[in-house]
Amino acid sequence: MTKPVLRGVLVVAFFALCAFYLIPVYVPRPAFIPGFAPPPDMWPRTVSLIGIFLGLLVLILAFRGGAPAEEAIKTDKSSTKRMVLRFAGVVIAFGVFLAALPFVGFLIAVILLTLTMVLMTGERNYRAWIALLSVGAPILLLLFFNFALGTQFPKGALLKTLGF
Amino acid sequence: MLNDVLSALSAVATLQNFLIMTAGIWGGVIVGAIPGMTGTMAVTLALPFTFYMAPVPSILLLVALYKGSTYGGSVSAILIKTPGTASAACTALDGYPLAQQGKGGKALNMALYSSVIGDFLSNISLIFFAAPLALLALHIGPPEFFMLMVFALTTVAGVSGNSLLLGMVSAALGLLLATVGEDLYGSFRFAFVPDMQAGLSIAPVLIGLFALPELIKLVVLRAANKDEAAPLGAQHVTREEFMGSLRSILKGSVIGSILGAIPGIGPSSAAFFSYGEAQRSSKNGANFGKGELEGIAASESANNGACGATMIPLLALGVPGDVITGVMLGAFMIQGLTPGPLLFQTNMHEIYMLFIGMLVSSVLLFFAGKVTMRMFTKVALIPQTLLTPLVLLLCIFGIYSIASSTFDVAVLLVMGLVGFGMFLLNIPAAPFLIAFILGPMIEENLRRALAISRGDPAVLLSSPITWAFAVLIILVLGLTVRREFLKSKERRVQQ
Repeated sequence: MTKPVLRGVLVVAFFALCAFYLIPVYVPRPAFIPGFAPPPDMWPRTVSLIGIFLGLLVLILAFRGGAPAEEAIKTDKSSTKRMVLRFAGVVIAFGVFLAALPFVGFLIAVILLTLTMVLMTGERNYRAWIALLSVGAPILLLLFFNFALGTQFPKGALLKTLGF
Repeated sequence: MLNDVLSALSAVATLQNFLIMTAGIWGGVIVGAIPGMTGTMAVTLALPFTFYMAPVPSILLLVALYKGSTYGGSVSAILIKTPGTASAACTALDGYPLAQQGKGGKALNMALYSSVIGDFLSNISLIFFAAPLALLALHIGPPEFFMLMVFALTTVAGVSGNSLLLGMVSAALGLLLATVGEDLYGSFRFAFVPDMQAGLSIAPVLIGLFALPELIKLVVLRAANKDEAAPLGAQHVTREEFMGSLRSILKGSVIGSILGAIPGIGPSSAAFFSYGEAQRSSKNGANFGKGELEGIAASESANNGACGATMIPLLALGVPGDVITGVMLGAFMIQGLTPGPLLFQTNMHEIYMLFIGMLVSSVLLFFAGKVTMRMFTKVALIPQTLLTPLVLLLCIFGIYSIASSTFDVAVLLVMGLVGFGMFLLNIPAAPFLIAFILGPMIEENLRRALAISRGDPAVLLSSPITWAFAVLIILVLGLTVRREFLKSKERRVQQ
């Protein structure tokens, strides 16, 4: 499947999912709507149907060879499999960060996420800077936001249990 | 009248006022340049400090913060492709490619010059056209508003990326995402989790969509390395470059002043509209999005051009033009001043002081911009492998601190993944963003118009203004399709 065709299929599939499944289930209509006012699902449904129509146009253009010129994506020439694994790594890192945040607290979660991200970029040279960025910067930012702006950051259930 | 002006001038020309405005501009530029920290945040945080100040200096401080942050948004947009504010999203389209070409300083200078000129002209428009323009804006009803927004969206979809169709797909995605949350009748739409009942905030969506994909690209594709960190090369905007962009600067200033004066439109729409118009009319239109100084000029002159103009409906009618002027309305009230037509009769002295202070702040913006620019250009020397995780860090802290919401942080990260997906599929992000911002207003005005007309869609073409916008929409669509057709033909000939 070529990229323009895949793009068209994804667009149609997404808007169709919204129009025929998500809107009927997740956009409730109130029992009473005053006057001639349109119901809450009117606008999302309209947009979804327009989206399906646009997606079909994208598909037609893709099949007819009239799709816009694709700009080449610059990579480090790694295999697709490796790049998919890296992307999965990013998704997992984000997911673990969000899942761990209530337990280990904001600071530790942010430190771990930053360190993971720096290492995932492939950077290994600036070790002192990496340490400063991953540990020093979050602490500084936390102090700034906490003292200057009064922001309270979550401490984490696990750390509270341990007496921190 | 001259006596009043001179009296106001002497009242403004104090060291205290000067320091307040300088601090406001500097603070605004710095806050605006930090991704995740918005002008609204800066103005809101400064509000408690104004309790202890006289009415005019307090408003001047807030106005200075507003102007500074609007310009400051362009700094991070240019250097790290992370618009500090939504209104700088267009600036990133050309600013970042210029920074990558080693012309970051040149882009920053053009952004500053355009911002200052736009800001100055906007202040002039505020002074001369406050009452008449506000009266005109008052005549714009829901159908006209709807058509105006659709026109803005069409323009944006047409100028972003390589294809009008993909721009429209992107806009449809943004419109759909904007429907998340509580609607007019209390229905919770797409509220998959309780946090979604209040809808999605603009800041995490904006920052996630524009800033995070850069980090994900770096991790997944690893195309950029430290050698590609933008060197700062020649920084001065030449006379030819400036004169070449002057038309777009002036046009952007006028667009910003007019759109800023219409409540609800604000600097973001003005910037997108101006950018689209500049691309359409410029002889360098094909170079827009690849590093064109004129693109920055158009976007920045319009967003700063809207700053002063948003004060027009606020002062003349007591209607805030955007969120920031909404906060300012509160500041006026706290100081015992009630914005509206009566303000021009009972507090003319304060009005003149405000006008003069705003003109002075335009000049201060220039100097503050020049000084902070040198400071921020150092950012470009940091290797991207360290800079992009730092941006992630700033984004997470900034977004969390807005509403102390972990959900907003989750939205930020998810939008980063969405932005990366859109990049892979060649779907432009700018129409998505502007549709997300305008979406609630578009829907609200459509529903109001339909409710007023008892469900008759013909109401959308019921006045000369709506017809004018309809013609403009068709014109923009026609011109964009023609441009794409010619481009496609040219490509085939080359092959």
